[in-house]
Amino acid sequence: MSGEIVIAHLYPREMSIYGDLGNVIALRKRLEWRGYDVAVRPVEVGEPFDLDEADLVFGGGGQDSGQLVIGADLLARGEKLRELAAAGTPMLVICGTYQLFGHGFTTIGGSEIPGISVLGARTVGSTVRMIGNVVVESPFGRLVGFENHSGQTTLDPGQEPLGTVIKGYGNTSTGHAEGARSVNVIGTYLHGPILPKNPRLTDHLILTALTRRFGVTELAPLDDEVERRAADVASGRPR
Amino acid sequence: MPLWFTLAVTKAAATLSRLLGKGGGHALPGLIAERLDPGLAGRLAARLPHGVIMVTGTNGKTTTTKLIAGILEANGERVLTNSTGSNLRRGVTSALISAADLRGRLDATIGLFEVDEASLRRVTGELKPDHIVVLNLFRDQLDRYGELDTTAALIGEGIAATTARLYLNADDPLVASLSRYASSPELVQFFGVDELPPDAPDVPRTASDSDRCPVCRTRLVFSRTFYGHIGHYTCPTGDFARPTPEVEVTGVASADATGSRFTVAVDGTQTEIVFPLAGTYNMYNALAATSLAHGCGIAPSAVAETLATTVAAFGRVEELTLDGRRLFLLLVKNPVGLTQVLETFVSREPAPQVLFAVSDLDADGRDVSWLWDVPMEALIPADAAVLTTGIRGADMTLRLHYAGIEADEVEDFTAAVDQLVSRIPVGGTGYILPTYTAMLAIRKLLAQRTSMQEVWR
Repeated sequence: MSGEIVIAHLYPREMSIYGDLGNVIALRKRLEWRGYDVAVRPVEVGEPFDLDEADLVFGGGGQDSGQLVIGADLLARGEKLRELAAAGTPMLVICGTYQLFGHGFTTIGGSEIPGISVLGARTVGSTVRMIGNVVVESPFGRLVGFENHSGQTTLDPGQEPLGTVIKGYGNTSTGHAEGARSVNVIGTYLHGPILPKNPRLTDHLILTALTRRFGVTELAPLDDEVERRAADVASGRPR
Repeated sequence: MPLWFTLAVTKAAATLSRLLGKGGGHALPGLIAERLDPGLAGRLAARLPHGVIMVTGTNGKTTTTKLIAGILEANGERVLTNSTGSNLRRGVTSALISAADLRGRLDATIGLFEVDEASLRRVTGELKPDHIVVLNLFRDQLDRYGELDTTAALIGEGIAATTARLYLNADDPLVASLSRYASSPELVQFFGVDELPPDAPDVPRTASDSDRCPVCRTRLVFSRTFYGHIGHYTCPTGDFARPTPEVEVTGVASADATGSRFTVAVDGTQTEIVFPLAGTYNMYNALAATSLAHGCGIAPSAVAETLATTVAAFGRVEELTLDGRRLFLLLVKNPVGLTQVLETFVSREPAPQVLFAVSDLDADGRDVSWLWDVPMEALIPADAAVLTTGIRGADMTLRLHYAGIEADEVEDFTAAVDQLVSRIPVGGTGYILPTYTAMLAIRKLLAQRTSMQEVWR
């Protein structure tokens, strides 16, 4: 086992909040522990980046002002990202980047930040701040995290959510859907950060990337005792 | 409602709260007064002959308030302050009630309050402060406040409701931009640092909190970065730049775990300050206090005398001896604060003994995600011996695991402190890094075993 996996980190200066950087750390370490080299390359506003080189794409949450700064740049890369998503590149986008991976975000003030429609989701700002611990049932098992958003995200008919909320809000303050998933692209509101405490999801993203790059079909197992304990504690905390 | 009645009811509530062991009665009287007589705090504050000072910002409020109180007292003031750390509106009101007699007379000449960032606008309109100090703005417990830009706007509203003199950190772009809310430009005084010694460990800069121009959102260009987004900056479009500070640290002679020696220039006069609290962040706190003192007409030489005898504010940087070991208790609340504490104390120590106590109650911030925004990999030596405890101790263990450090998790605070002490040789040093409620609990158990002063007085 050897070889290098390239992680494209979308806008780390603007879109990296509430520990979202921990997702990159989790991806990197779990690849390194299995003997792979990892290169994390930042995608910055206005700077050229060949996304074809990316084995994995990650984007985190940010403030509204951060979304405004990256908006146009992300749109310019939208066609390439849609093409990669359709071809099966694994991607994980959190909160603010999740919103812009949908059709767009209408702020509470009524201004529209268009999205790139990788996911069939539309977000509208609200006065409800959805804050707290979240537990989600998903195809990757129980997911735990912490959400903090006021955007209400509605999925298109036929768009799969990432999972169903057991505790917390998820996409909206009224429904039970959390996140969105199409092909290998996952959007979610879960900070926490999501990947360190949910290693099954992390390993799914990693294996998808390794399969596509090297034809790897199986991951060497890791001892996830520390991860499990932290996840158990988190899932027991009040909403 | 007559004043004496509200005061009698709220004072009785404070006594009852203390008797029932529900803490120091620092919030309840204020809560009751807000119901009975919402104008009470303003009317009491108006009786303070030398007015009201408020201190806000993410990190350093309690320490800076304590420094300013010492400076004012040395200058002959009798200071009314919310020194036990209840910095919401109710805490300010409670402090005023507690200092008043039943006729509303105050045994104080000046009010000095640390105020939570989001509460500022609710207390400035009421108390009409004469001076407002803004220290810095970092991400902190955003689960309560929303976003950093929102927090800045809330402080701005608070400032706009007054005609106060402002003391703003020139080196924090978002804080410096608050000058636009001043009722007149002459009322703004900036403080800042010219240069730091270049021997700090090389900490990789993670996403900065506010490296965008507050006016046009272009990325600021930094010629110097001291920590987080604190430094010298300019917007390439030319619409915003670091203002020239009136009160400035012009040189740092030394800085280590015992404190720092630096020179402050005020109106062309240089004063050397010996300050026993370690860390760049504490130097900024001392600088903010010096700046405020200058605005109140107190000479830097008098300030230097007080600063030299500083003892740390409750739980922020406390040093104590337990069974022959030296322990530092270092409150941590957010990524920038924890980064600073690790950089100042742990990163330079060979094989350091460290205990992290992480909880997620309301006063800690319920979201522990921020642990991942701290570059532990670079700041904790590989040979460190680390223990974790607290409600979310498991999250800290996990964070360290991904930084290549295997920590031992201990269920309760007493056992954790015992284990830390047992690992340190007699005469050696250990570091306890708790979040807020964990700090209260650990401080309480340490107070039973050392000469540390009891908190609730």
